Amino acid sequence: MKSTKMIFSAIIAICCFCLVAVPQTLAVNDAFDPGKMADMSDFDPSNPVTPSGDTIKIAIVASFSGPAAFVGEIFYAPVLWAAHDINKRGGIMVDGKRKKVQVIRADHMSQVPQAKKITERMVLQEKVDVLWGTNGSHLMKVINQVAKKYKTIAQCTAALSDDLYDHKNFTRYSFMTSFQTDQIGRAAAYYYGQIRKKEKKFYILCQDYLFGHAMANGFKKGLKQYFPEAEIVGEDYHKLFLTDFAPYLTKIKASGAEVVYTGDWIPDAANLAKQARQMGMMLPFAHTFLDEPNFLHEVGIEGTKGLIQIGQYATTNPNFKNAGQIMVYRAWNNLWKNKWTKPFNTYTFKHGPGGGNIGSYMMQTYWLLSVIERAGSTDPEKIIKTWEGDTYQLLNGKVMTMRAVDHKAIQDLHAIEYVPPEEQKVNFNIEPYRWYDGCSGGGPVSRIPADKIMPLLDPELKR
Amino acid sequence: MDPVTAMYVAQGIHGLAYGMILFLVASGLTLIFGMMGILNLAHASFFMLSAYISYTVLQVTGNFWLALLIAPVVSAVIGILMERFLLRRVHASGHIGELILTVGVALVILESVKVFWGTENLPLPVPEFLQGLVSVAGLEYPIYRLFIIALALVLLAILTVILYKTRLGMVVRAAVSDADMVNALGVNVPLVFMAVFGIGTWMAGIAGVAIAPILTVFPGLADQMGMDAFMVVVTGGFGSLGGAFLVSTIFGLLSSYGVQFVSALAPVLMFIFMAIVLVIKPMGLFGERE
Repeated sequence: MKSTKMIFSAIIAICCFCLVAVPQTLAVNDAFDPGKMADMSDFDPSNPVTPSGDTIKIAIVASFSGPAAFVGEIFYAPVLWAAHDINKRGGIMVDGKRKKVQVIRADHMSQVPQAKKITERMVLQEKVDVLWGTNGSHLMKVINQVAKKYKTIAQCTAALSDDLYDHKNFTRYSFMTSFQTDQIGRAAAYYYGQIRKKEKKFYILCQDYLFGHAMANGFKKGLKQYFPEAEIVGEDYHKLFLTDFAPYLTKIKASGAEVVYTGDWIPDAANLAKQARQMGMMLPFAHTFLDEPNFLHEVGIEGTKGLIQIGQYATTNPNFKNAGQIMVYRAWNNLWKNKWTKPFNTYTFKHGPGGGNIGSYMMQTYWLLSVIERAGSTDPEKIIKTWEGDTYQLLNGKVMTMRAVDHKAIQDLHAIEYVPPEEQKVNFNIEPYRWYDGCSGGGPVSRIPADKIMPLLDPELKR
Repeated sequence: MDPVTAMYVAQGIHGLAYGMILFLVASGLTLIFGMMGILNLAHASFFMLSAYISYTVLQVTGNFWLALLIAPVVSAVIGILMERFLLRRVHASGHIGELILTVGVALVILESVKVFWGTENLPLPVPEFLQGLVSVAGLEYPIYRLFIIALALVLLAILTVILYKTRLGMVVRAAVSDADMVNALGVNVPLVFMAVFGIGTWMAGIAGVAIAPILTVFPGLADQMGMDAFMVVVTGGFGSLGGAFLVSTIFGLLSSYGVQFVSALAPVLMFIFMAIVLVIKPMGLFGERE
């Protein structure tokens, strides 16, 4: 009887252990392990080492010429970094062969016809395994259409429109690892309503096209849900590449707004904030893309103080949580400082995997490569099977989950408050204890939990 | 001044300031396009090029006035070389040749700035002595924007005097009217046209330097202003400085009061105005040349 009781107790104990411990060990399917990272001292994005022979080909479909040419370079360096790292580790075992990763630049020139042409060329001529992109949802839509037509995997890393994955546009060959417009808007609202609880009067100023309206709608929806007592004192949509923001700023000033919510990207975002400061308006902006370092320096410490950024690659304070993370950051930052040449030695590239968009693009690429490795194949069907429902832990500890039904990433976002350099230590907890000297940067960080900002799911999407 | 009145007055001054920026770009274009009949689609590229050059001058010397002096002159020299060695050769074959050539030049300038300055956004701060706000009857307004208004007015005055009160201006207007006759009278007409082209690109250069502290200097700068300037020239009437000035001011005011009262329609108000003008006066408000 006694032994029966003991066996029974043991079974209960094992069950309890399984319920608690096993899910934790299975919490992520894979994680970026800094300990496995190769010696990157020979990495130089200006002089890439291009593997030959049978390779895993990734085409970065982006603007490499025209007014937005710089964006292509911002994508290129972190993707190339991930590829270089994996190649130095010996490549990835796929379909019974160890293959290295080859990164190809595919210039869509920010134009739809060119995007279609270059993407098809990448698939048919270069025979790439993955289409990686891009700046502009309208261009990502083209990439997704090509991916669907030729059954090639596409990774949406930088286009943010939810519509790309609605029932009309969804393709099972494309995966959205970036954050999304609706999510960003609701995250900002959640931050102001549930965390910050200070300002109540908001003015929405976004660009007058699908993206800007989607960013605004997400914010309005979020305010209804998380901050019903908030007041939207004004709402405007301006044309793209606007020269003069002064009339909007005068309206905003008269509205009594306490915060300006904007989905603008550079150069509009920079011009908006710059002209506001020139006009003596020190209102805080809640934004996503006002983090371009050259602009931040131009506006200076006071002008950038109080900006609130909804970021996709951040973590709660302190930013650097372990030695591995610091090691990866230092590896990048030392090369930036000592080795790289223009444009990769400019402010924009300074912090790389430390945080921000470049870190995000790098980690999204590592996730892709991890999926290919675990799929053991470049066969799109095997990649889809592995990626759907997959979870991956990034360098900074953040976990991304790929929702199987619509291929959108579920993830925490973070609200980052910009503070003067001397107050940034709370966030930038390694030497020199500040992101930049000449402008405000990340200070207090608040986590917006993923379950509060689940990606928008189109109810008409039947899979 | 009560806050509401201050807001309306501020919108009026914003309109004037933006109008003057437009005028600075459009005045050069109207000289070249209107007076010489050259369809220079690279005009806005000179505006951008000058902004980039002023960035470098400012980096090296730290002197805004030097930047305002040097950058437009460099742009003008490049413009003169373009006219002398490229445009003059295709001018006889009409607008198609000019159009293709100037688009080509615009692309070369675009790629050149990327090679020399890179593709990232470059900061150009408002000069220290023009920073801050000035308070007039309770309305606080940025000094730099007032400086732009003053600069445009001074340039308008200078250009008007040169064109309408000097012998050079008389020769230019005569050459535009009948180049062969003026040539027969012993005036070197190609030289006159080259000078006009140089002045036109110089004006674009002045606009580039003036606007750089308000905007971000990046390779898309030309696209930001080019279309609006072209609309000013067409609506004001080809070759009419007065027309360009008036329409620039109207566009500026439409833009600022449009945002204030009919925000959703603000971006199209200029187009509506242009359409109405062209329906009534196909040559533009003060059109002098077909």
